[in-house]
Amino acid sequence: MNTLNRRQFLKLAGAASALAALPRGVGAATTAPRVVVVGGGFGGATVAKYLRMWGGNVQVTLVDANPNHVSCILSNLVVTGALSMSRITLGFDSLKNNHGVTVMQGRAIGIDAAGNKLTVSTSTGNKVLPYDHLVLSPGIDFVPAPGNWDANLTPHAWQAGPQTTLLKNQLAAMRSYETFVMTVPKAPYRCPPGPYERACVVADYLKRKGRTGAKVIVLDANPGITAEPVAFTNAFNVTHAGWIEYVPNATVQSVDSSKRTIVTSARTVSNAKVLNYIPNQKAGAIAAALPLNSQGFVPVNPLTYAVSGYPNIHVIGDACAVPASVGKAVPKSGHMANSEAKVCADAIVRSFTGQLPDEDIATSSACFSPITNTKASWLSTNFIYGDIVDAAGNVIGKGMNRVDIGEAPANGIDGDSYQDMFTWADSIFSDSYI
Amino acid sequence: MIIPIPLRAVLIGASLLAISGQSGAEPGRLLASQCAQCHGTNGAGPGFDELAGKSASELYHELIEMKYRANIEGIMDRQARGYTDGQLRKIADYLSTVPGTGGD
Repeated sequence: MNTLNRRQFLKLAGAASALAALPRGVGAATTAPRVVVVGGGFGGATVAKYLRMWGGNVQVTLVDANPNHVSCILSNLVVTGALSMSRITLGFDSLKNNHGVTVMQGRAIGIDAAGNKLTVSTSTGNKVLPYDHLVLSPGIDFVPAPGNWDANLTPHAWQAGPQTTLLKNQLAAMRSYETFVMTVPKAPYRCPPGPYERACVVADYLKRKGRTGAKVIVLDANPGITAEPVAFTNAFNVTHAGWIEYVPNATVQSVDSSKRTIVTSARTVSNAKVLNYIPNQKAGAIAAALPLNSQGFVPVNPLTYAVSGYPNIHVIGDACAVPASVGKAVPKSGHMANSEAKVCADAIVRSFTGQLPDEDIATSSACFSPITNTKASWLSTNFIYGDIVDAAGNVIGKGMNRVDIGEAPANGIDGDSYQDMFTWADSIFSDSYI
Repeated sequence: MIIPIPLRAVLIGASLLAISGQSGAEPGRLLASQCAQCHGTNGAGPGFDELAGKSASELYHELIEMKYRANIEGIMDRQARGYTDGQLRKIADYLSTVPGTGGD
C-alpha cells in the first residue's frame, strides 16, 4: 500500500461497494472472468492452479515479487545443511505451462477497490491489473522488535531464502561452548511447531558436530509449547537433554542485533554467538490496509475467504483470520494455506455461475517435524464449517470448528516418519506448484 | 465509511461473466481436494497411497475404519476424524471417478 494510504483506500472501498451492487454492463457478459492473485507461496500458487483447473476459461494472473518461491516447509533442514536451497525452491513454470496461469514478477503496491484494479511495481514500471476477484496471499510481515533490531545481523529465517542462508552460515560458524539463542513469537504466528523443530535440529546439529558445551536457549513468548507439546517436551528433556534450555513466558523487551543481546521478562542473554530472533507477526503488507483484527490479521468469511465489506477481495493463508472457537484457532501453515485456497477457488468459481458457496466444507493441516537427522514427529488438525463457541461453550456464530487435533504417539516419532516427511513435502509441493 | 453489500447482489453481478469449460462444482470435488496435499492432485500422486480411480466402497470403508479406530496409529487415523461420515462418502465417491495412474 505505498500508493494509497489507509484513508484513501477506505474511501475508495466505499465506492466499490456501491458499484459492485450494480449489475455489470452488457459488454462484460462475454468476457472471461479475471482473477488476480498476489503472492506465490502455498496459498497463492494453489488458488491460481485450482482456479484454472476448476474455473474453465477464467483468466488468472499470479503476482509475486520473486521469480520463484522458497518454501519454509523443510527449510530448517537447509539451516543445518541437510538439504540444499534448490530442494526447497519452487518455480512457477508449471503453473504457466501446465495450467495457463499468467505470472507477473513484481510487487503489489496498491489496490483500487472502487475500480477493481491492482497496481504492481515491476522492473519496467507500474502495471495496472483489472480484476473481477482479487485473492491476496501475502503471508506474514514482522512486528519490529523494540530496541536496535536488524534482521540482516540477527536473521529470523522465518521467510525462506537469503535469511535461511544467513542463519545457516551463522550456525556453521559456531564452536564449542557457544550459545544459539532463539525466540518463539507470541501466537498466532506462522507454523506453530516450527520454532521447536528448529531448536531440535540445531541442537542435533551441534551435537553431531561435536560442539561440546554449546547450547540452544529457546525464549518462548508463550506460556508453554504451542504445538506437539508431548513430542517437543520429550525432545527437549530427553532426546536433546543438556543441549536445549527452554524458557517459557519470555516476553521480549528489547533486542540489540549488533551485540546479539536480548532482554525478555524471563531471561536476558548478552553476546550470544547466534541470535535467531523470530519476531511477532502480522498480515503481509498489501493486506494491511484492509480491516484488521487486534492481532493484525484480516478477518474473512470462512466460506469464501472474502473480506467483510469487500465481496470480491479475498485473503487466504497466514494473513487471514478465520472465525474459530476460542482456543481452537486455525493454524497458519503452508498446508492450511493450500487447504483454504481450494475453498476460496471453489467459492469464486461458483460465484461466476451464480451459485452460493458450498457450506459442506472442511479444511486441514498436517505436517512432519524433524526431531533429529533421522527421526520426525507429526501433527494433524482438522476443521469443519459449523457453529463456533466462546470459552464458556456458547455459540458465537459460524466458522471453522476444530474437530480434531493430535500429534504422533511416542512410537510414531521414528525413521518412518522422517521418510514420510519427504513424501508429504513432495506431495504438497506438487499439489501447489505442479 | 464501508457499507457491506448483500452477497446476493454480488452474485447477480458476477454471474454475467461468462464461464465455460466446466460445469460448476462437482459433488465431493472440493472435499476430496483436501486429500491432495498428501496424495497428489486428484489423489493421483505424487504422495502416499494413490486414491484416484479406487473403488468407492473400499475407500469409504477404509476411511471409516481409520476414523473409528480406538488406538491412533498413523496420521490418517487422525485425518479421517476430520470429516463427517457423509463427507467421507462424498470424498470416496468422487475419487473413484477420477482416472488414476494405476499406482498403489
